[in-house]
Amino acid sequence: MKLHEFVVRRLLLLIPVMIGVAVFTFAVAQIIPGDPAALQCGDKCGLIVGYDDDGNPITAHQANRERLRLDDPVSIQFERYITDLINGDWGESQKNGRPVLDIIKTSAPVTLEMAFFSLMIAYPLGIFLGIISAVRQDRMFDHVSRFFAIAFVSLPIFWFAMLLQLYFATGPEVGGICDPIFGTEGGCFPIFDRHDQSYTYPVEGYHWFYPEAGTGFHLVDSWFVTDAKLAELPSEFDTNRELFMDTLTHLVLPCSALGIASSGSLLRYMRASLLEVLHEDYVRTARAKGLSEFRVVVVHACRNAMVPIVTILGFSIGGAIGGAVLTESVFGIHGMGTVAVLGILQLEYQIVMGVTLLTSVIFLLSNLIVDIAYAIVDPRVRLE
Amino acid sequence: MRDWEGGRNDREESRKRLLESLSMSIGNLGRGWKIYRRSLLAMLGLLMVLSVSMVAIFADEIAVQHPYRNLTDTEDKWSNNPDQQELPPFSEECSLREQKITTDPRSRLFSETVVAESGNKVSDSIALGYYTDILSVTEIIKIENDRGYDQDPSLITIDPNNSSIFVLSPDLYGNSSHYSGVWITYLYENDDMSHWWLPEGYDTCIFGTNKEGHDVFSKVVYGARVSLTIGITVATLTVTIGTIVGSISGYYGGRIDEVIMRICDVFFAIPGLILAMAFVAAMRSVSSLTLPVWLGVLLPVLMLAYFLNAHLSTTVLSGDDKVSDQAMGVLMNNRSLLVSVLAFLFFVGWLPAIAWSEFFGVSSSRGWRLTSSLVVIVLLAAIILADRKFVQKNSMDGALERIGSSFDWTNPWRYLNFRTAVVFLSMAILFKLSGNEGSEIILIKDFDKLWQVQFALIFTGWPGYARLIRGQVLYVKEMAFVEAAKSVGAPPSRIMFRHILPNAWAPLLVAFTLDIGGTILSASGLSFLGLGAAPYTAEWGLMISESRVAFQRAPHMMLYPGLAIAITVLGFNLLGDGIRDVVDPKNRR
Repeated sequence: MKLHEFVVRRLLLLIPVMIGVAVFTFAVAQIIPGDPAALQCGDKCGLIVGYDDDGNPITAHQANRERLRLDDPVSIQFERYITDLINGDWGESQKNGRPVLDIIKTSAPVTLEMAFFSLMIAYPLGIFLGIISAVRQDRMFDHVSRFFAIAFVSLPIFWFAMLLQLYFATGPEVGGICDPIFGTEGGCFPIFDRHDQSYTYPVEGYHWFYPEAGTGFHLVDSWFVTDAKLAELPSEFDTNRELFMDTLTHLVLPCSALGIASSGSLLRYMRASLLEVLHEDYVRTARAKGLSEFRVVVVHACRNAMVPIVTILGFSIGGAIGGAVLTESVFGIHGMGTVAVLGILQLEYQIVMGVTLLTSVIFLLSNLIVDIAYAIVDPRVRLE
Repeated sequence: MRDWEGGRNDREESRKRLLESLSMSIGNLGRGWKIYRRSLLAMLGLLMVLSVSMVAIFADEIAVQHPYRNLTDTEDKWSNNPDQQELPPFSEECSLREQKITTDPRSRLFSETVVAESGNKVSDSIALGYYTDILSVTEIIKIENDRGYDQDPSLITIDPNNSSIFVLSPDLYGNSSHYSGVWITYLYENDDMSHWWLPEGYDTCIFGTNKEGHDVFSKVVYGARVSLTIGITVATLTVTIGTIVGSISGYYGGRIDEVIMRICDVFFAIPGLILAMAFVAAMRSVSSLTLPVWLGVLLPVLMLAYFLNAHLSTTVLSGDDKVSDQAMGVLMNNRSLLVSVLAFLFFVGWLPAIAWSEFFGVSSSRGWRLTSSLVVIVLLAAIILADRKFVQKNSMDGALERIGSSFDWTNPWRYLNFRTAVVFLSMAILFKLSGNEGSEIILIKDFDKLWQVQFALIFTGWPGYARLIRGQVLYVKEMAFVEAAKSVGAPPSRIMFRHILPNAWAPLLVAFTLDIGGTILSASGLSFLGLGAAPYTAEWGLMISESRVAFQRAPHMMLYPGLAIAITVLGFNLLGDGIRDVVDPKNRR
């Protein structure tokens, strides 16, 4: 099979899954209790807003139901839902009328940024420890690192995040261990949110100091804030660099929590895969040639052992987004996870649908890209 | 056909084989244990799992405080103790109590002696409600009046005969500053705050107390029960569902396989936690899990009809081709089953257009419906037989003899068919006699928040097992012994349960063990987000969530529940890894 055939086939396989996800989100939204029309008018649902042709009063509740067309048959609602999805109308929040797509546009980059940096921590850490663990098989280091690999997988991530907050973001009087080590005051890293809390920002314009057409990625945007906007900020943010460093330090704790938690499984995969490769003939050949052990492991074995690790990148992204729900909740970050939790707690099914759809799209696309990359790297995959 | 003597030999043979296989499996267990024992981490995991299970089983004995239930409540409640909020571990104040004593003689509540009692509500049974514990006072620390001024300590003394009773001195009455009562702070000592298994002096709240004054240690101990229940229930049910779906998918292949795997893909495409959250939200309004009566009657009767059909076609009819397709072939090719289902629905009155009672004017009680639907099945069986006899020209020769031999308990094949039929018949009869005369059968009466979490996790978890089992089935299906069983004419269900699944259980067992830990993690995560257990339940995730407002001030409130989760999950993960080493030698490195 040619490469482009493989890609086309994978893309075609994506279609039924996407349809399935759309059906699924629609079904869940239908089952979720709560009347969106009643949610929208709140305590004014009994208010009479007009009269129909026969002179019967229409309450605000009825008017809302009519406007949202909730009394239509399910099949017609589903049809409308799909056409709206394709046209880019993902509905709006029932509480404040903000379009769901807009909410997701501001929250998704935050989560993606976090997931990206957590994988930047998890992959080097997991691969490095995995290599050492495999090379020193059945020695003390191996046992210890394997134990920690399992322990990291077993840790409840929200608890781990809170421990990080406790020890690295607070002063010694409440148990912080960071101050005596690094000589900082009140902890090394900020505890909450994506920005310094010394200035407040309006809730809606959460990223108000960013350029008008901001990317939504706080790190990128903080670098491109105009001088006029910088002047509005407190004095400790004179330059873009300071603002950038501030947003970066706010990322450290959440990303470490996510990254360390997911590095455990990576370590185990890397170790198993490298152990398998180390028994291959070409490694023996390389050793027989008299190459140094370092060169054998790093150049000959690792490159081949890394191939299966790359394939789980797609799943890692899915796992990181799932873990981000909990981490964001602990660190008070307004990402997709927080949006999803609030949507579910307040029964805002449009938001839940939007977030579910988007996360699945991200997950499927990242898996697709990884698979294609894998097919390029390892042509055997295409043959099946 | 074999005679009785041959049957006896068969039975002896099978008994011998059973004993052999038993002793072999015991030997296997012993060998497995020897391999398992070699790994230190695996032993550690086993120890952790065992100790957590012990704590969960004996939570009543180990814990100090106990939850109580009112007659109306369905969830565990913990009594609040406002005197002892957010105390650090081993705090002296845990055995310190403040109590207000009314001293105004004009008050209706006035008395010369006052009993020291705890705020904790203790109860042995739900029926008793709850009562407060009587404390035995060791030392009076101070006496204050209502405005916070210290009073003379000699005004109140402990009764020398009964250390639970304060005696009020007459000087207290006349003093106008005591009209609205005095506050007395005292140290007490009794079962309320002591652990029988710890030495003297260490028996106050060893993990501290939380915001409401609950003993964190007791809640952690009771939390083991909740978490293990969730973990084991969810893992068992997901394994069952996943195995059924996965084996159907793997065994039949083709279009069924394609559809099931696409459905699984949809589930995999959404991150697990978000999926579970959506399910919890969707189940929010469910208060009890019920099965409609028609389904409850339909399932056993359908099974009965199915096995009856298979039984008839193997005994009465002598067609050779009936043997191999008797199980699934019936569902696929035979319209009679569909007809019987429709007839059954009609008789049960579920088809709304022509309800039974309106049509015949007869009582529509369940027993009557059940009997009538059974009669319909028997009639249908007669029709099938007639159809086969006169239309398909199948021979009926020797039918009586075959029927007779089919009731022969010594023939293992016939016996199996017969036994299955009897099981379902007795199920139907039991159901009829159960006296459940509502319109719905209640499966789970209190579908509380824990059940919602459990079902959400089951719904999210089964695709993983389905995929695992499918792979195993695809692998085992190609082996020679399955081919052999097929050629002998064993039905698919027998091939599945007797030949394929026993050879595919090893990865399943490992996944099951690992999944218990994963489920506990997910459930605590859901509780942490406020989507899990009801407020103030002893659930570890919820306890961490409740401690968030004060976790810098009082870290012990989140430290110990989190440790409990970590230890439990770690234990199950290590156990699973150890089992994997035993059952799957190629992973052992």
